[in-house]
Amino acid sequence: MPDVEMKTEDAKQAAKKEDKEKPTPIIVTPVVEIKSNAVLIERAVSTLEPRFTLRVLRSLAALRKRLDNKVLRDAVSEIYPKDSSTKSTLLGWIPVASAEVSSMDIDASSVPASKLSSSDPVPEVEVYLRLLILHHLLTSQNNYTRAKELAQETISNIQRLNRRSMDPIAAKVWYAVERTYELSGELAEARPMFLAAQRTASLRHDDETQASLINRLLRSYIQYNLYDQADKLVSKTNFPASASNSQYARYHYYIGRIKAVKLDYTVAHTNLQQSIRRAPQPRVAPGFYQAVHKFFIVVELLMGDIPDRSLFRHPVLERSLEPYFNIVKTVRTGSLSQFQATLHKHAAAFETDRTYTLVARLRQNVIKTGIRRLSLSYARISLRDICVKLHLDSEEDAEYIVGKAIRDGVIEGRIVHDKGWMECGAQKSTYGPEVSEMFAKRIGYCLELHNESVKAMRYPMNAHRKELADAEDAREREKELVKEIAEGELDDDDGLGGGPGPEF
Amino acid sequence: MSTLLSRLHSDVTRTFSSSNLQKCGEHLSKAKLALIESDLIFPSVHKKVEELVAARDILEIGAFWSIRTKDVPSFDRYFSQLQTFYNDLSSVLPPSQREYPIRGLNLIRLLTQNRIADFHTTLESLPLPAEKLVTNPYIQHPVNLELWLMEGSYSKVWNAREEAPAEEYKFFVDSLMGTIRQIASCEEAAYHVLPLKDAATLLFFRTQSEVLNFAQERNWQIDIAAGQIVFPHKSEEDMEIPREKLIANDLVYARELEQIV
Repeated sequence: MPDVEMKTEDAKQAAKKEDKEKPTPIIVTPVVEIKSNAVLIERAVSTLEPRFTLRVLRSLAALRKRLDNKVLRDAVSEIYPKDSSTKSTLLGWIPVASAEVSSMDIDASSVPASKLSSSDPVPEVEVYLRLLILHHLLTSQNNYTRAKELAQETISNIQRLNRRSMDPIAAKVWYAVERTYELSGELAEARPMFLAAQRTASLRHDDETQASLINRLLRSYIQYNLYDQADKLVSKTNFPASASNSQYARYHYYIGRIKAVKLDYTVAHTNLQQSIRRAPQPRVAPGFYQAVHKFFIVVELLMGDIPDRSLFRHPVLERSLEPYFNIVKTVRTGSLSQFQATLHKHAAAFETDRTYTLVARLRQNVIKTGIRRLSLSYARISLRDICVKLHLDSEEDAEYIVGKAIRDGVIEGRIVHDKGWMECGAQKSTYGPEVSEMFAKRIGYCLELHNESVKAMRYPMNAHRKELADAEDAREREKELVKEIAEGELDDDDGLGGGPGPEF
Repeated sequence: MSTLLSRLHSDVTRTFSSSNLQKCGEHLSKAKLALIESDLIFPSVHKKVEELVAARDILEIGAFWSIRTKDVPSFDRYFSQLQTFYNDLSSVLPPSQREYPIRGLNLIRLLTQNRIADFHTTLESLPLPAEKLVTNPYIQHPVNLELWLMEGSYSKVWNAREEAPAEEYKFFVDSLMGTIRQIASCEEAAYHVLPLKDAATLLFFRTQSEVLNFAQERNWQIDIAAGQIVFPHKSEEDMEIPREKLIANDLVYARELEQIV
């Protein structure tokens, strides 16, 4: 809705271009797209409107897949004037494939002079092109070392220039840097660099970069199982509130994972839920969607809840969640032996998802569910029977386990030791302060949503002046009307024999 | 490697293997000084490998020595010093025989202090694939203990005290039983009356007087004549309505709605 409104005045051209591009996306060559993006970035810098840059970056994922050496080279040559030094540096980074060299030379000499101005575009465009080249280098394994050099040079460029209009692009560059180090298997070595950059970013109030870097660091810690450090980082930093949705989604996901390991399931659950809500559409980013759901399901189980059945029918999730579905089934039936078998069967899958230790913790939940089911269906059951039904090792164990379940509030009841049985109390009534608490939580959420969306609304610049003028007009008209009425009334009054007119 | 360090290293090893704890402690404090002087206590990768190994050896013996002298805070210190060797220098140094016993001891220490969250964080950060966790005897032991503690199979914990994979593990059993009794005192919630005799078995006490002491600590009522413990059971207390909270909530809603409409 606000998006439509803002395309009124100066953005009209861009909107038109987009409209033209949308219906026939196949015809637009990547070169043209890069060029139009460069124009958009220029406009973003000159009008101080980060919106245009963000629009450019939104197309990054799709554009990335269509890059090749020639495309990049053509784009660079066309954007920069002929004798620009930046151009030669950029071209130097693009790998040379022998077959294309000749054709490229012709392109470079013939095209550029035609329509471009003689000066270099803004540095943001250079960084954007560097970002594209970096992503392109990462597609082939042989170029990793070159990619790393490029990454380092780009980063030092960004930090030297220190331009706020560059922040959104810089945040994406950091992501590419992380990928570079991760693919070359040196993620741990990049950490000092990230930490230093994070400090700088927070000093410069560079929110985009800061958000991106915090996520980079969390990922790097979690990759190496350094949950303690990750937790400390979270508690010592403030995640910038203006960060983009996708950064928020990642951030919540990482916090969810950290808290799940630290047994703080409630916090983990809220964070994972937030992450799912903020995540891009399942079809756009299926990997992330699946990864978050895996942890979400395990945490939900650990909290003693059973996830929704419909979740496992979701087309994107169905296949990848199959092991988890089986686990949910065993937890639901409360059968220990089945649980162990399923855990064993899917061990490799859990291992790759890095949820194995979390799933293994579910064992006690299986027992709890079992006891709970028994306590619901029996008013009085002997410990011996509990032992048989839940496949426990001894009656003694059963007594302790039931005792613990009662203490933890899983079931209501008591043990009669002399007789060796468990008596189950009546179910707690479900109406109480908890209900109002739940309502308070939900209402709070709705109100916050409303307030957030009010804040998120955008209006075209200076449009209020026109409205003001309108308002002024309206007021004039009203005055006239009032006057007329007053006069009319006066007339009436006159007719009625005179008197003081009504005062306004 | 400096001659002083190598001499101290052999001193420490010798006195430790002959289990002369007092002498060993004296040598250890000298060795630690030497380590600090030669900058090995927080080492960097650039040190010679044999120096690092000697330093690690001394610290490992120190960790075991602390357990044998029943000094848990000292074990804590040694363990945190060893972390550098185990985590950051693992690519440089040959693996140590004592690494997993010490890591396992640290896990049990966390259990006895009831720091379950730390226990799991430490477990996650072990450089082992998940299936190895259950095959490595030193790690498996604390992992099983935690499992049993959490599900409430206390008798299994009690029985496992004899199956400790290393001598030092047994030191923790007593304090672990203390932890268990704290957790195991579900009695208050789960029973109305409990015969003294059975309470002793349930709480792993050997004599009745121990039970009586424990019961006094927790303010249980003891009916000596009937030979049983009575747990005062709170009757269903009246549901307190959190008035102030409700009023505060309602006021917030009113204000927010005012803003919307």
